[in-house]
Amino acid sequence: MLVIVVENVPARLRGRLAVWLLEIRAGVYVGKYGRRVRELIWHQIREDLGEGNAVMAWSTNNENGFDFETLGQNRRLPVDHDGLRLVSFLPMSSQEPLAPLQPAAPVDGGDGN
Amino acid sequence: MLPPLKPIPIKDRVSVVFVEKGQLDVLDSAFVVVDKTGVRTHIPVGGVACLMLEPGTRISHAAVVLASRVGCLLVWIGDGGVRLYASGQPGGARADRLLWQASLALDDEARLKVVRKMYSMRFQEEAPARRSVQQLRGIEGARVRKMYELLARQYRVDWKWREYDHTQWGSGDIPNRCLSAATACLYGVTEAAILAAGYAPAVGFIHTGKPQSFVYDIADLFKFDTVVPTAFRIAARTPDDPERAVRLACRDAFRQTRLLHRIIPAIEEVLAAGGLPVPTPTAEHVEPAIPNKEALGDAGHRG
Repeated sequence: MLVIVVENVPARLRGRLAVWLLEIRAGVYVGKYGRRVRELIWHQIREDLGEGNAVMAWSTNNENGFDFETLGQNRRLPVDHDGLRLVSFLPMSSQEPLAPLQPAAPVDGGDGN
Repeated sequence: MLPPLKPIPIKDRVSVVFVEKGQLDVLDSAFVVVDKTGVRTHIPVGGVACLMLEPGTRISHAAVVLASRVGCLLVWIGDGGVRLYASGQPGGARADRLLWQASLALDDEARLKVVRKMYSMRFQEEAPARRSVQQLRGIEGARVRKMYELLARQYRVDWKWREYDHTQWGSGDIPNRCLSAATACLYGVTEAAILAAGYAPAVGFIHTGKPQSFVYDIADLFKFDTVVPTAFRIAARTPDDPERAVRLACRDAFRQTRLLHRIIPAIEEVLAAGGLPVPTPTAEHVEPAIPNKEALGDAGHRG
């Protein structure tokens, strides 16, 4: 299984992705390809990303059962956690960090991106 | 409305996640680690067997509640794995399993059968006949020392003996430190499995007198095909940060040996060798007024 999500990329790249993958929602592409085809598709995204960003996830034989790769700027950053890949979510502006957590702050101020 | 959270089987989970620093909390119903710059990292606790909290972490009440709802064992550990405290699924939620385990441990004949089964599972051969638990432990100790030597030679590690000061993490040579880090990972996962299956970590058959006696018994079954080779392989490379390198490698070893798939069946197999039936409730017992719901999790999970 292969899933690609693109944001803010040129329309021609979105059309190109639709050549191989099914666009099930705006910017969300799914398909089932092996490593060679996956790398070919990723190469195309890398060439024509513009100002946008992209993420690609695919199933593989590791502990998670999947792996993923990113391109471009996004508030979600992949982090390596002792071999387990997680995602860190940056606050809106790095100059203005989120207020340190108040005990029992029930509502979160993030926009969920 | 979302349906209530339920634990999923331990075999479908990722083995262990270490958290070094940050505030663990629940934001938008998800388990997050927030660092002091406000960066938050989600941890999919429902898909993790055991979460290791190192010094430098703080955890909120809401986060502990969420971890326990989804059956993730929280283990508070000291620097690099010296165990301090644990929670998440305390006690085990199945009295029938606890009583069965206790009855096996209290019956000398059954206990010997369980110990013999553990021996045969570890060394892939029958335990010598007519030996007491005490004698089997002696034979086992000698074999274990030999296995350490053999594996050390195989991985070209300079090995003297298993020696460390359990109060001092930095003590001991590199191979010993690697081994301690690796066994700490294995103990966490094993304790999570024992609790998930509904047994008591303190009721041991070979080991006794510790909150984790049964954990040591079960972990010993898997030690030499998972963490010991891994620890020696890492020790041979003498990395800068041996503990971290070992943890990374343990994750792979647990996956390759399908540890989380095998561990609960192994516990049942070992105890079944005792030959005692699982106790049934007596006529005087009161059945639950509200029947238990069908759940996806393992027998010891509170659904």
